[in-house]
Amino acid sequence: MLNAESDIVFFPNIRTIYGAIAVFSFTLYPYVYMVARVAFMNISPSLIEASKLLGKNSISTFFYLLIPLIRPAIIAGIALVAMETLSDFGAVQHFAIPTFTTGIFRTWTGLYDLNTALQLSTILLTVIFCFFAIEKNSRNKIRYDNSTTLKNSYKPIQLKKFHNVAALLICLIPVFVGFFLPVLELINWSSQIENIFSSKVIIAASNTLYISIIATILICLITLIINFIVRSFGMSQLINDILSLGYAVPGLILAVGITRMFTSIDSLLINFDTFITGSILGLILAYVIKTYAISNNVLNSAYASIPLSLDESAKTLGTGRLSILKSVHIPMLKTGLFTSFLLVMAELIKELPATLILRPFNFDTLAVSVYLLASEERMFEAAFPGLMIIIFGLIPIYFLNKLILSKNG
Amino acid sequence: MGRTNKFLDIKNINLSFDNKDLEIMILRNLSLTVKEGDFVAITGASGSGKTSLLRVICGLEIPKEGEIILDHSVMFNKEISIPTEKRNIGLVIQEKVLFPHMNTRQNIEFGISKRKDKNELSNEIMEKLKIQKLSEKYPYQLSGGESQRVALARSIVMKPKLLLLDEPFSGLDTKLKTKIYPEIKSILNDNKITCLMVTHDLTEVKALADKLFNLESGKLVKI
Repeated sequence: MLNAESDIVFFPNIRTIYGAIAVFSFTLYPYVYMVARVAFMNISPSLIEASKLLGKNSISTFFYLLIPLIRPAIIAGIALVAMETLSDFGAVQHFAIPTFTTGIFRTWTGLYDLNTALQLSTILLTVIFCFFAIEKNSRNKIRYDNSTTLKNSYKPIQLKKFHNVAALLICLIPVFVGFFLPVLELINWSSQIENIFSSKVIIAASNTLYISIIATILICLITLIINFIVRSFGMSQLINDILSLGYAVPGLILAVGITRMFTSIDSLLINFDTFITGSILGLILAYVIKTYAISNNVLNSAYASIPLSLDESAKTLGTGRLSILKSVHIPMLKTGLFTSFLLVMAELIKELPATLILRPFNFDTLAVSVYLLASEERMFEAAFPGLMIIIFGLIPIYFLNKLILSKNG
Repeated sequence: MGRTNKFLDIKNINLSFDNKDLEIMILRNLSLTVKEGDFVAITGASGSGKTSLLRVICGLEIPKEGEIILDHSVMFNKEISIPTEKRNIGLVIQEKVLFPHMNTRQNIEFGISKRKDKNELSNEIMEKLKIQKLSEKYPYQLSGGESQRVALARSIVMKPKLLLLDEPFSGLDTKLKTKIYPEIKSILNDNKITCLMVTHDLTEVKALADKLFNLESGKLVKI
């Protein structure tokens, strides 16, 4: 970006394990930031006042009261980061860091040894589920720790000149390094390509939108139906809990599992001259498993906010279950359905490992294009599809923000 | 040495809040003196500024004008504003403010964590307030009365110069209140703690207070 020769401007070699750690830290910090922020906001200001009345100044209050108080949230965030890092494939592959995911990929696609790949996947899955359990446990603790009543509201402190600038700069560091800097570099690289809207990019973009939209609609529909059945028949949430486990499974492991399952089904279908391996079906199945939790989180809470008495009233008026779904639930779940659609869509647009393995022949998405071009060191060509992923991902976030703002009046 | 007549000396306090373009006066030229070791009660209608007065005294609200002197030290005037944590004033309020992730002992020892004798001090106060059995319990395991006793213990263990009570017993049932009043009075007397309490409950005033004031339109009237 500086247009300087590498021997003139010193820059440390980023393609090392430390470089990867830095990249993961700056890109995954929102997982900790978001949960910690919510946890901080849920702390009653009266507790902070109580600490000051007990002789603790702001710094002591922060370290001795606030940090221990939000510790479960920090642990939950860190567990999520650990799960994401262990599941990551694209970044570690690009950085040439030997990890479980790259090992599974090499064993399978290089050595054609599906059994060893499955064994490695099982070990990785066990480690990930340990972090999953830690995350779940910490989340339960957050609810219990924040049981203090919240009566007062926080009074923002207006920082003076130097402190104001210093606070702004410190807070900007992770956003700048993790978002603006790479985006600026992608824009810079893209500007050096003559025809950025090549047919390959357009096809990859339309493939991305096509598969993401179809899968998202399907996921929202499945979540709606399951939540409707659970509610209407008074079933336990166990089915939702089980299906939600899918988000913890790395895309690569899902791909290995689905391929194994589909090859078994294909061997049964061989007499009918039909094959499902390599079809779009596997990809959609992987997407459903991977993002059911996201969709369910939204729709399940939206459903919980509809009083059961409404269903009972509708029943006393002679309305059947399906009519209740159509005329009571769906109109009341509109916002939830839309939110769920946007969140799942934002997630699927950037999905790489499962897409890379399960996509039908010659079906490249933007994420796959970026991966393939970057692995051939064609960084300038990879930049624009990368930018498009960011833009496509930001569109749902924009609408989501608008939705939240309109809700908050 | 006799008791200081002006242990707490509050002079001409003015407190107002800005609400959009409107300035709402909460306390107008409020003055009050409290003798060392006295238990003073303040009553008043809801919204009369009772809680604000306590928050001003302990430094959680900063008044526009006035002076607050505690035990001959200036806590607040035009030039000085001592931060809350350095005033050595305790405040117990009705709201549950026990730290939810700490058990009773940890809550009580929070303010004296750097003292070597913190264990003895917390044992002593727990014994006085009859809450030894609760030492390992967490706030969510305590009843309303137990929580208030722990909050009181947490403040008293600091040996504050002044203890402020903001309707601390309003959530408790009458039976428990009548049981707790003499115990608290005796603990405050034993520790020679000067106390200022705001309340609606006249039974509470009769049981605990030496003097009573009524707060009307931001000013104190002695009853």
